[in-house]
Amino acid sequence: MPLPAFAASTSDRALAGVCGGIARELGVDVTLVRLVFALLALAGGAGIVLYLALWLYADGRPVWLAGLGVVIAGSLLLHAIGLSDRAVAGIALVSAGLAVAWRRGGGLRPEAPLSYAGYALVGIGAVILLAAGGDAPAPLLAPGAVAGGLLLIAGPWLWRLAVERDAERAARIRSEERSDVAARVHDSVLQTLALIQRHSDEPRRVASLARRQEREIRGWLYADRPLGDDGSSVVAALSSAAADVEDVFGVRIELASSGDAEADGAIVLAAREAMTNAAKFASVEEIDVYAEVTENEIAVFVRDRGVGFDPAAVPEDRHGIAESIRGRLERAGGSASVVSTPGEGTEVELRIPRSTS
Amino acid sequence: MSRRVVLVDDHGLFLAGVKSELGDAVEVVGEAGTVAAAIPLIKELEPEVVLLDVHLPDGSGEAIIDAVAPERPDVRFLALSVSDAAEDVIAIIRAGARGYVTKTISGEELAAAIERVASGDAVFSPRLAGFVLDAYRSEQAGSELDELTPREREVLQLIARGYLYKEIAARLDISVKTVESHVSSVLRKLQLSTRHELTRWATQHRLV
Repeated sequence: MPLPAFAASTSDRALAGVCGGIARELGVDVTLVRLVFALLALAGGAGIVLYLALWLYADGRPVWLAGLGVVIAGSLLLHAIGLSDRAVAGIALVSAGLAVAWRRGGGLRPEAPLSYAGYALVGIGAVILLAAGGDAPAPLLAPGAVAGGLLLIAGPWLWRLAVERDAERAARIRSEERSDVAARVHDSVLQTLALIQRHSDEPRRVASLARRQEREIRGWLYADRPLGDDGSSVVAALSSAAADVEDVFGVRIELASSGDAEADGAIVLAAREAMTNAAKFASVEEIDVYAEVTENEIAVFVRDRGVGFDPAAVPEDRHGIAESIRGRLERAGGSASVVSTPGEGTEVELRIPRSTS
Repeated sequence: MSRRVVLVDDHGLFLAGVKSELGDAVEVVGEAGTVAAAIPLIKELEPEVVLLDVHLPDGSGEAIIDAVAPERPDVRFLALSVSDAAEDVIAIIRAGARGYVTKTISGEELAAAIERVASGDAVFSPRLAGFVLDAYRSEQAGSELDELTPREREVLQLIARGYLYKEIAARLDISVKTVESHVSSVLRKLQLSTRHELTRWATQHRLV
């Protein structure tokens, strides 16, 4: 705990310049300070002892010596105003203990040691003070002195604990974030890089690994959703479905979207089936998927510029479109339509009303 | 005639890849990896098109457009990025870029996009079209943001669905020129909208 700087006055001095120095520090008239010292000197010589103590302090002598002087001066003063010896001794010990505690450990720096000596002095003083219960002013002074002492000692200590706990918590959060990032990078990027090294002679596989990774990292960075989470929203679920299809068939799926909503299983599964069909049968490298969420419905368009087919010529038993796409959506209250022209490509249009809930 | 292009990207490997993929289709007259290097370079070379990354080590692509555009109004910018945060993309378009394409684009498509930008048209990738539709949809009634016409909306939807301009033209029974003018008009409306409105849009989307 820093003590205020204080130097004796060299210009304005009657004895050692202590009064002049105090007057300068406090910005008051030196005569007033001298008057206070003179009055204190009448109180059992307290002013003289205090003067000496401050002189020692200003002179650069050890602080404890000056402190001792201040405590003695205070004791003399209290004695002079009528307190019993025991009460004065108690208060003196409490004050000395507090001074030691503040000086040694009471600072707010987290690394400051606790001063057991100081607390012991305060404790002994408090006991003496309480024992001096018969004296008139003691019952008034004692509880206040003890409470004040405890507050002065425990306050900085509790404060320090709080500061330490905050610092600890901040450090813990940082370290948790770091390990979270490390875990994600490990689970995703590093694994993918390892896979890419092992499959470096298979360009399609490498490309699909890189694309999947890019999607995941992007989703994590920008959409603030956990990696691999495909249940949170329509767009997230479509993105995940697209990534799976990319992986399996080595195609590139360009997903665009406008708006988003709670995930809807039927349309996502239907869209996944449409992407799979395009990847399997259209002989293309790229498929475009667009999801549009409006107030009333979710629409998903899956488009390829592949070989196309004649929808009318598809046999009834072809499971893909009939069941997985149309049947699924119609059961959920939606609709599906397929526009395809041989040689030009196919577009599957999926629509489902949004649940009113 | 091949177009004079400056590439601004801080990834050397990517720059080299783009250059080799573009081949003779364009003439790469300069390269820069930072905002600080790009600004004087572009002012000096005055290329027809600047291909620029959204994020650079010392700032954003937007900063380059802000610094160059007032003095060199003929230089056109095309954003090329892996960044897909809608806010970043909309911001660079608003700053004056005439299009946005992702780095996964093929060399052939990129050359076509450069040509389109050089001749004054806009290049909307499906993803950008989705972002723009989203931005307009979020606007409440009474907004100062110029509304899109139904036809502009239709064109954007088809772009988002992956249609090429000529396919859109065929489907809507209009000319490719008309499709282009609709897209340019959307771009203009977007660039004229005030920052305040797009900030509100971004805030609604928890992007900022």
